[in-house]
Amino acid sequence: MGNLVKIALAGEGGQGVQSVAEILVEAANEEGKEALYIPNFGVEQRGGVSIAFCQVSDDKKIGSPKFEKGDIVIALSDRAIRRCAQYVDENTVFIYDTSIEGAEGDLPKNAKKVFGIPAIEVAKNELHPRVFNIIIMGATIRATQVVTPEQAKQALEDKLGYKFEQNPKLRELNYRALERGMQLVEGQM
Amino acid sequence: MADKPIQGEKRMFVTGNEAVAYAALAANVDIMYGYPITPQNEIMHYFTRLAPKFDKPFLQTEDEISAGFTTVGGVMSGKRSFTATAGPGNTLMQESMSMAEMMRIPTVVVIMQRGGPSTATVIYSQQEVTMTCYGANGEGIRVVYSTCNHQELYDYTIKSFNTAWKYRIPTFVLGDGYQAKMRESLTMYDPEARGIKMVDTYPLVGLPGSPGVDRDPAHLRNTYNTEEELYEVVSNLVKDYEAVAPEIVESESFDCDDAEVVVLAHGVVSRAAVEAVRELRKAGIKAGHFRPITLRPFPDKELKAVANQAKKLLVVESAQGQFAKLVHHSLYGDSTPMEYIFKPGLGITSDEIINKVKAML
Repeated sequence: MGNLVKIALAGEGGQGVQSVAEILVEAANEEGKEALYIPNFGVEQRGGVSIAFCQVSDDKKIGSPKFEKGDIVIALSDRAIRRCAQYVDENTVFIYDTSIEGAEGDLPKNAKKVFGIPAIEVAKNELHPRVFNIIIMGATIRATQVVTPEQAKQALEDKLGYKFEQNPKLRELNYRALERGMQLVEGQM
Repeated sequence: MADKPIQGEKRMFVTGNEAVAYAALAANVDIMYGYPITPQNEIMHYFTRLAPKFDKPFLQTEDEISAGFTTVGGVMSGKRSFTATAGPGNTLMQESMSMAEMMRIPTVVVIMQRGGPSTATVIYSQQEVTMTCYGANGEGIRVVYSTCNHQELYDYTIKSFNTAWKYRIPTFVLGDGYQAKMRESLTMYDPEARGIKMVDTYPLVGLPGSPGVDRDPAHLRNTYNTEEELYEVVSNLVKDYEAVAPEIVESESFDCDDAEVVVLAHGVVSRAAVEAVRELRKAGIKAGHFRPITLRPFPDKELKAVANQAKKLLVVESAQGQFAKLVHHSLYGDSTPMEYIFKPGLGITSDEIINKVKAML
């Protein structure tokens, strides 16, 4: 992976891809890297496919905020899979959620690698639906290695610390979700 | 009461809208007026969160016509005032800004361009160039800074207050929806700690003493009775503007000296241009980039020098030739061949520029 990593995270509005992106780039910035994040946004207030464009570089300032092709593209719904085909080329690793029904036909054919992870299922059955996006964050970190797991935990602490104070079990749940997400990608890259 | 919004220097990772709100407070702004419109909403949002800590008020008006005129009013009362808007809001503010031109009111307006015409998209464009530089009935007696990153949004928001008040010219910071909404790092600072002195503000009306007796009248007029009278006033406005323009004008060039193709772009698109030139140079192709930072006044002399050396020029913008018109005007009489990438309302990446430059060789 080169000096600059381009990540597109796409899901349904409400799946939390924008908060994942926000925490991820905060973590990268805290590590002293250059990071840029831009949400796609339209006139709709909720619903629809929500895409977060993230770029992380070791040192150099980042160019245009959006990019044509991603190094890692993660799509979390059927519509997101179709919408994200345009960001894929022969250098792209494309990750999708295995619980999306009828996804096979829409998966990109031109990617470097395509694989599914059961993030929705793990969230529902093992952990809690509300940490679904943190599982995705773990998967993203493992796939891109743009930040260390320690830095990611610190970023979670910075973002959600006030909630963790009220309920320490939440901290544990989030940390487990992060680790589970990383495991889901382990060995697949 | 907190002391200063930024003490010394501080690396921050924020949206462009936040950077502007912080910059205005760091510049010791007295008041913000505004009416919400995407993508600049968060300038107001963060300003209203931060400003009370520094005892600075905010007034939400009923629309952008009012936000523009209240900003004019705030300045006339001697307050360092600003507003922010986008798209159709920028359209509505042209009336008040032409009044500011006529009466030389040092207003500051931050524009975050969105798609046009009309409501269009709330996302991004560079389609407010003509309007911000030359909008309304007037001669464009304005200063327009086109920024390309968060550092510049911060720097030029601070600077715009000083430009406005030093020269008494309405000043604009021209950003866009991408810059407004994206997050990246920048260094915020207390202007004083960097030796930047904020230009003093003063009331333009309600001065002590009787006009004509104790002092000269302020003569803040926007209405004239005769053609000749108006002609004289506007001629003086233009003359004064042209006299200070060389002090105000700013531009940047990158690898232009031996360039066969020079990419001309402004604002956020120049980031893609810089990236493209870097890649092209790596591939042994002599490309360069020239970027006006002030679109008004336009860096005519600097651009001519670059155009004289270049074999070809490529104008790239997220609009249908609004920036190219400024370039044409500036380079009138120059015969360097020029090509274009026009993408109204759409972002432009370095790959598109690279491919186009290669095709031009």
